[in-house]
Amino acid sequence: MKSNRAIPILAVLAGIALIAVAVVYWTEPAKSLPFPDLLGHQAGSNTVHVKHGVASFLLGLACFALAWFKSGPRRVPGASR
Amino acid sequence: MLILAGPISYTQALILGLLQGFAELFPISSLGQSVVLPHLFGWNIHQNANYFISFLVATHLATALVLLGFFWHDWVRILRGMWRSIVEREVSAERNPDGVLGWLLVVGTIPAGILGLLFEDSLRSLFASATSAALFLIGNGLLLFAAEQLRRRAPQVSEDSDERIARTTRWPHALLIGAAQALALIPGFSRAGASMAGGLLVGLSNEDAARFSFLLATPVIGAAAVLKLPELLGSEGNGVRGPAVLAAVCAAVTAYLSVRFLVRYFQTKTLTPFAVFCVVEGIALSAYFLG
Repeated sequence: MKSNRAIPILAVLAGIALIAVAVVYWTEPAKSLPFPDLLGHQAGSNTVHVKHGVASFLLGLACFALAWFKSGPRRVPGASR
Repeated sequence: MLILAGPISYTQALILGLLQGFAELFPISSLGQSVVLPHLFGWNIHQNANYFISFLVATHLATALVLLGFFWHDWVRILRGMWRSIVEREVSAERNPDGVLGWLLVVGTIPAGILGLLFEDSLRSLFASATSAALFLIGNGLLLFAAEQLRRRAPQVSEDSDERIARTTRWPHALLIGAAQALALIPGFSRAGASMAGGLLVGLSNEDAARFSFLLATPVIGAAAVLKLPELLGSEGNGVRGPAVLAAVCAAVTAYLSVRFLVRYFQTKTLTPFAVFCVVEGIALSAYFLG
């Protein structure tokens, strides 16, 4: 039961974090990003990584979707994937 | 990078558009073909030039719209199934195969989407040469051939293609197919080919793997095109919008003919002829470029 509850909680936390990351991508230029170079930080660059933000936002939504299904009240035996 | 190449002529746009719509859906790497063809014809078009990338956006958008139109009724069914699964808070292949198929497509889109956003530009720059594209075409052919040889033949559990996909494919499978699709970021590897190969390896039939690949293509190609549309409409599209419109129309025609043909083709046939084509083309082009 504990692991059944842990997954939705972790998914919601990850979703919130990813949407926060998306907001950072959309509002901060590449030179100010607190992420590694691989994830978009570029010294001296004023580029805003809109697409990185979109990806992070969509991943956040996917985490919320996972939490939604994992915390659903109904479970049909054998239907779990 | 200094780009010295000039704009694209209408003749070049016509040829590239016809090729793009055709090669995007056939498992022969549209990106690879668009790298080797200008080089083969001696056109002064560079794969990484901003105007060329803007130009390709129009052809990708046209292909995505054709796929959306071709599978329109399926998409309506899939979206209804997804909505139903959200309302019922249940994802069940037995009770709601359309909903499961929709979520499998979402999961399958994630790896290619993330890897594409992170690495597309760097991989395109790294492997932009015609020679490397020709060599990777050989790799693409070998991948298709290996997928046909190593495929896991799962029992056919249903008469309906979407129901079979929903019942056969598990979430890790969808991730695997999505990750395989990301191989197409390297010019020479085919998105359609890699995703079909992934589908075969997880137990789908040729028909179901092709169907899943085409459905998966719509959000991936469409989203990539929509995200880059501002470049075509902005200053980077100056001088190429007219040719881009022509190429988009040509791509739409060949994409429609291609998907119509391939859906029927894969009901009975395999990837092997495309594997042979890619290996032969790759070897011939490699010999020509290196010679």
